[in-house]
Amino acid sequence: MDTTLEEDCLEAILTRGPGTSVSPGDLAADLGVDKQAVAQAVASLVEKGLCRSDDAGVTLTGEGGAAARRVARKHRVLATFFSEMLGMDADSASREACTLEHEISDETIERLHTYIHRPVPPAKRGRRGRWCHQRPDLMDVAEEECVRVTGLRGPARHQRLMDLGILPGERICVKRKLGNSSLVVRVKGCEVAISPEIARMVFVERDA
Amino acid sequence: MRCALIGNPSVGKSLIFRQLTGVGVEVSNYPGTTVELSRGTSCHGRSRIEVVDLPGVYSLEGESEEEVLVREFLAEEQTDVIVAVLDVTRLERNIYLLLQVAEYHLPLVVVLNMTDEVEQAGLDVDPEALASVLGVEVICTAALHGRNMDLLLPAVLRAEVPRAEVPYDHHLEAAVRSLQKMFGITRQESLAALRQAAPSSGAPGDQSDLQEASSTIATEIESRHRMTVGQIIAANRHNYARRLAEAVLTRQDRSPVPDPDRYLTRAIPGIPLLIAVLLGMLTFVFVVGSFLEDLIVTAMQMYVIDPFLALGFSPLPETIGRAVLVAIQAGMGIAFPFIFIFFILLSILEDTGYMSRAAFLSDDVMHRLGMHGGAIIPMMLGFGCNVPALMGARVLGSRRERLIAAWLISMVPCSARTVVIAGLVGAYLGLVPALSIYGVVVLIILATGIVLSRVAPGEQVGMIMEMAPLRKPQVRMVLSKSWLRLKEFFFIAMPFLLVGSVILGLCQYAGLVEAFEQVVDPISQAVLGLPGFAAAALLFGILRKEMAIETLAILGGTSDIGAFLSGLQIYVFAIVTVLFIPCISTVAVLVREYGSRAALLISGYTVALGIIIGSLITHLLR
Repeated sequence: MDTTLEEDCLEAILTRGPGTSVSPGDLAADLGVDKQAVAQAVASLVEKGLCRSDDAGVTLTGEGGAAARRVARKHRVLATFFSEMLGMDADSASREACTLEHEISDETIERLHTYIHRPVPPAKRGRRGRWCHQRPDLMDVAEEECVRVTGLRGPARHQRLMDLGILPGERICVKRKLGNSSLVVRVKGCEVAISPEIARMVFVERDA
Repeated sequence: MRCALIGNPSVGKSLIFRQLTGVGVEVSNYPGTTVELSRGTSCHGRSRIEVVDLPGVYSLEGESEEEVLVREFLAEEQTDVIVAVLDVTRLERNIYLLLQVAEYHLPLVVVLNMTDEVEQAGLDVDPEALASVLGVEVICTAALHGRNMDLLLPAVLRAEVPRAEVPYDHHLEAAVRSLQKMFGITRQESLAALRQAAPSSGAPGDQSDLQEASSTIATEIESRHRMTVGQIIAANRHNYARRLAEAVLTRQDRSPVPDPDRYLTRAIPGIPLLIAVLLGMLTFVFVVGSFLEDLIVTAMQMYVIDPFLALGFSPLPETIGRAVLVAIQAGMGIAFPFIFIFFILLSILEDTGYMSRAAFLSDDVMHRLGMHGGAIIPMMLGFGCNVPALMGARVLGSRRERLIAAWLISMVPCSARTVVIAGLVGAYLGLVPALSIYGVVVLIILATGIVLSRVAPGEQVGMIMEMAPLRKPQVRMVLSKSWLRLKEFFFIAMPFLLVGSVILGLCQYAGLVEAFEQVVDPISQAVLGLPGFAAAALLFGILRKEMAIETLAILGGTSDIGAFLSGLQIYVFAIVTVLFIPCISTVAVLVREYGSRAALLISGYTVALGIIIGSLITHLLR
């Protein structure tokens, strides 16, 4: 659809940096479509006053920026919903969001946004309950079990975990688990001992 | 020409460093830290090369002391060649660091170490795969056996700049190119700007145009990907590292090797084993140390102090001279028999890799005390000397944990306190009462820790510690590490010891001590059941703990303490000395690292504790 490509163009220009001039050739490369289609979309955007054309390429006008940010927000809300609430991996979530963001209405997005951010009552302590209702983390994994990392919570200690290879998408095995406390995990062929509160920051899922 | 060794911890960098430089090594603390780097020189043909051994790091972008030091070193000191040392048994993760190093675009030589271990497991190493991608020389070594070490220096002399093109996510690449075009910066600077400007990094901005532009772009990228810029970069690097690792090693999983961790990390027998190892170490040091200390003290008395006194100087110079010599005698009597031996044993444990298992097993207990497993090493060090132990507490992640560790370490009975226990209680009352004092102290430390963990404000950051590979300890590494810690005792604690001793000598000379004794006598009798001069000895024990015995002997008039103090009084004196205020060097380090308020709190607490417990014991057992 025409508006789909136009909205994608707006988003792509926004990603490159507001106020930067992007040439149609670069846009075509970023979006993976041919230059003809891009040129048409750009022309249409300029007509609607959402873009401005100059020697170097196209830039966003104030209105265009606002429109771009609206679309980007829809993408964001959808991607969050897919990855955090449905447990999809980041790439698939992003791709689905890219397709749906153009058709979904503003109202639906608002309701989705409210749903995602409403406070969740703390789940009961039972292990089965946790696995079903909340995102499972490393503490829910038994000894000798291998899982895949789906996300990391909280900004603290991210860097050290990432440097050791504990990243979304990575396979991780629990080598030793002491009572209900510290773990030794095996990741990227190396063994790392972690405290329980750190283990709770690593979200995982069992391989299908 | 200067070349720097960079690599993960435990890859064998230091061994390679020693093999390259041999004699003429200077190990220094980088100013303001306890992390050290070593500098040495090596010769090849007619070229002199300065070799620098940087501390082991997992990445160049974190905020730990080691990473900051390596970054600053590369930024401030002219480095001509980087030698990246990789552990081939953990290749994928090591290449992650290598990629960051390569992005610095300095001439590079790659060393794949531990190739003997992989070959034993039946794997093939293909260095060419890495060399062709990066465009630099890759050497396979087994540093323990000296294999190919001779190829290293020639390679350094002809090192080339690497081609480092990690294929990042296309949004990121677009942003990087865009920043490069706008501001004329390098690819590496552009990446760094994006990472730091991102709202997730929490780093303060510098308000420049670059920072503003990067911030906006980074925010967009982060919201689209639901991942921080840092995570995206790390993920891309890890993926690329995996591709490279798979090209270098033709089979990734190794055949099963007998794994001691089956026993070491399981609760049983792991925990009993740990307790046995630690207790065994402490007992060994206690027994052997006391024996050696006796020898040293007697020898110094016979060959140095008595001859000095026989020279018959006039009173004032004699007092000062004697004070200095007694201080040296006390210091030597502690340093070598107790501290050095203890540190050697501890370094052996660390070098074998056992201490990471110890940290894992003790994580739970440490959590109840408000810290985490990593605190076990500084706590153990405290049994040797509190000063290096307090320095070692920096490894803990948050200020709250460091403070709790400092508090508890100041209460750990160090060698000086052990000398008091051995020399007083051990000598006059026997082994069991001596050990009972340790028991009381440990219980009090645990209780204090539990209370502190509930009361101390701040956050608790958990432990993330790689289990170091289990291997045979190396003599030179053990000795150099022990010496480094002993040096902290010599250069920080000893000066205080000397000065304190002189002050004590002068006070005595001036008759101040006698005056003090008379004032204090009624109080100390009532509260602690100790005569005034014992209280004076206690007080001067603040200057140096072991001097409490010295002072007692001097003030009592004879070395036979049993002659003028009863068994109960000896026990009370010992326990108060052990519990109350840490020695003045410890207090000085506390002030420097944690501020005067913390130091005052801890000192106040321990003084009160010592007096209360001493008082309780006196009145209960009289």
